[in-house]
Amino acid sequence: MSAQTPETPRLRGLMLVAGREIRVRGLAKANLISMAITVLIVGVLAALPAILSGGDDTTAIGIAGSESTAMQQQLEAIGDYDVTVYGSAAEAERAVQDEDVDAAVADGKLYSQDGVGNEEQTVLESVWQSAAVETSLTEAGLDAAQIQDALSVAPLESVTFEQAGGAENDPTAYFTGLIISILIFFMLMMPVQYIAMGVVEEKSSRIVEILLTSLKPWQLLGGKVIGLGVISAVNLIAIVAVGLGVSAATGMLPELPPGTTSAALSTLGWWVLAFALYGTLAGGIGSLVSRQEDAGSVLAPLTTTLTIAYVGSIFILNAPGSLFAEILSIVPPFSAIAMPTRIAIQEVPAWQVVLAVGLLAVAAAGALALGATLYKRSVLHTGSRLKLMEALRKAA
Amino acid sequence: MLEIKDLHKRFGDVVALDGVSLSAKPGEVVGFVGANGAGKTTTMRIAMGVLASDSGEIVYNGTPLGSKQRQRFGYMPSERGLYPKMKVGEQIAYFGELHGLDKAAAKRSTADLLEQLNLTDRIGDNVQDLSLGNQQRVQLAVSLVHDPEALILDEPFSGLDPIAVDVMGTALKDRAAAGAPVIFSSHQLDLIERLCDSVVIIGAGKIIAAGGVEDLKAREVKELRIRVETIEDLTDALPGTVTRDGDDYLVEDGDSQEALRIAAAAGRVTHFAYDQPTIAEIFREAVTR
Repeated sequence: MSAQTPETPRLRGLMLVAGREIRVRGLAKANLISMAITVLIVGVLAALPAILSGGDDTTAIGIAGSESTAMQQQLEAIGDYDVTVYGSAAEAERAVQDEDVDAAVADGKLYSQDGVGNEEQTVLESVWQSAAVETSLTEAGLDAAQIQDALSVAPLESVTFEQAGGAENDPTAYFTGLIISILIFFMLMMPVQYIAMGVVEEKSSRIVEILLTSLKPWQLLGGKVIGLGVISAVNLIAIVAVGLGVSAATGMLPELPPGTTSAALSTLGWWVLAFALYGTLAGGIGSLVSRQEDAGSVLAPLTTTLTIAYVGSIFILNAPGSLFAEILSIVPPFSAIAMPTRIAIQEVPAWQVVLAVGLLAVAAAGALALGATLYKRSVLHTGSRLKLMEALRKAA
Repeated sequence: MLEIKDLHKRFGDVVALDGVSLSAKPGEVVGFVGANGAGKTTTMRIAMGVLASDSGEIVYNGTPLGSKQRQRFGYMPSERGLYPKMKVGEQIAYFGELHGLDKAAAKRSTADLLEQLNLTDRIGDNVQDLSLGNQQRVQLAVSLVHDPEALILDEPFSGLDPIAVDVMGTALKDRAAAGAPVIFSSHQLDLIERLCDSVVIIGAGKIIAAGGVEDLKAREVKELRIRVETIEDLTDALPGTVTRDGDDYLVEDGDSQEALRIAAAAGRVTHFAYDQPTIAEIFREAVTR
């Protein structure tokens, strides 16, 4: 057996560990299935608005009489209406009775089985009126261009006096913020638990003792964090891509608030920072215990912090202008979820974003150091649970 | 040459190691014997760098043992450890790669070892689905996959069936024949006697006896055992203190040449040799001393 490299270079060790995590955990059936289900759910949710409002919802309208041509043009411009022009009012009336069409307009009358919905009533009413106006104008001797001018009226411009009032009440922005907070929350919560479980698994099975004869503790922890990070990132990207892709395909995307795509991209950035922070801490804290049963309780402070950040973000969605929102979205580790959520629903001053990113990055660096130290000092300590303070004091 | 020099280690108030030194030359198999809690595991963990000593050093081929060299060592910890939910073949190859093999070499070596260990048909099974004995074999494969240049094995034979014991014994001998120093601990003293060139006995954190297996045995020579085909009773005729052990005469403190002459005169001498203690007896003696 030759092919022995002189030593396992540092990065190679790190990547071997990460690769194992990805192979064993990422390609595990359970993960693939749960990912497929999540992606499916997200896809269906994204398609839902289109399914609810479009598709089979077209209304069949029959038209007859003098204003037929003008009305047909306008209705088809609006869309969602399947227009049939009949030769006479009687034919149109019969079509309604035979349920060939849902409603018919002919010579100033609206035919239907038992009345039409409010929305349709309004649409048909206005189409009928403008068609009638158009006919009158033509009769008065105006040409097509003049009629066009006369009929085109700018829609009302909305002026409000509350700051950022628009977005706050914008259900789509709310929805986007909600999705972002949920995504980041789960994409942190899940790997954090897996990292801690993996650390405890290696510790409880004592395999760590063999691993550490050829790896440094930082390679082992780092590889684990990177491996689960990649798995989660793939999950996250798949979900975001499917969500945006389906939205775009069903024509929902142009209706999302401006910057949704960039928000999705920056969400990834926030997640990377947050993951470095929570992931290494989870590894360090997980190494304090030797049994899986203890992993949950020792992780509690971390998962609680995550939950607070998430619940706080939901609160921010409802009161983005509050002082609480500003503080929570700047102070790490809460800012990891709170800031991207807030950005989704509100115009956030640039300095606050920069400050939040900076603080989170500093906190992540601190967490890296702390998590690695904890891990190094306690990963070979077996038996009873190591107290946090003990681990920190040890060899200090 | 692997040298463990003057290790000291305390756990709180407990002195675990108090100046432990032992060494293994290239090709030498060293048995490390001691009662539970005597310090065997602690010594081996320090040698493998998973535990820090308070003082003392590990020297390999004349220089302090570094992590690069240690990576080419084979190690089996006393508490076995494998990933339960990882496939046998993948797992062994993974450790091969961690120890510096490239992917192809790790795969090749894994296949070879599984063949030797009769586990080829279990290559795709999760480790947790194997019997305990087979998991032990996988553990052995993990410690041998990178063709280690030295072996430190903590209780490698515990929990093995006789066939696996043979496989393990052969593996150790093979590595030694290839020039690797081998240190292993065991409570199965007959195995130590059979496999080892030398023995180190530790008690309460101190080395209490060490040396070549033959030397140790010779050092603790006991009575002269004489078996003669005769109907006479030679108890009074033989020199020194004479006792009977079945049909044999055991002679202590007597002149051997005179004893041989008397015995030969009485009948055909079928056995004439000094009784040698077994390693087990030496161990008991050393520990209780």
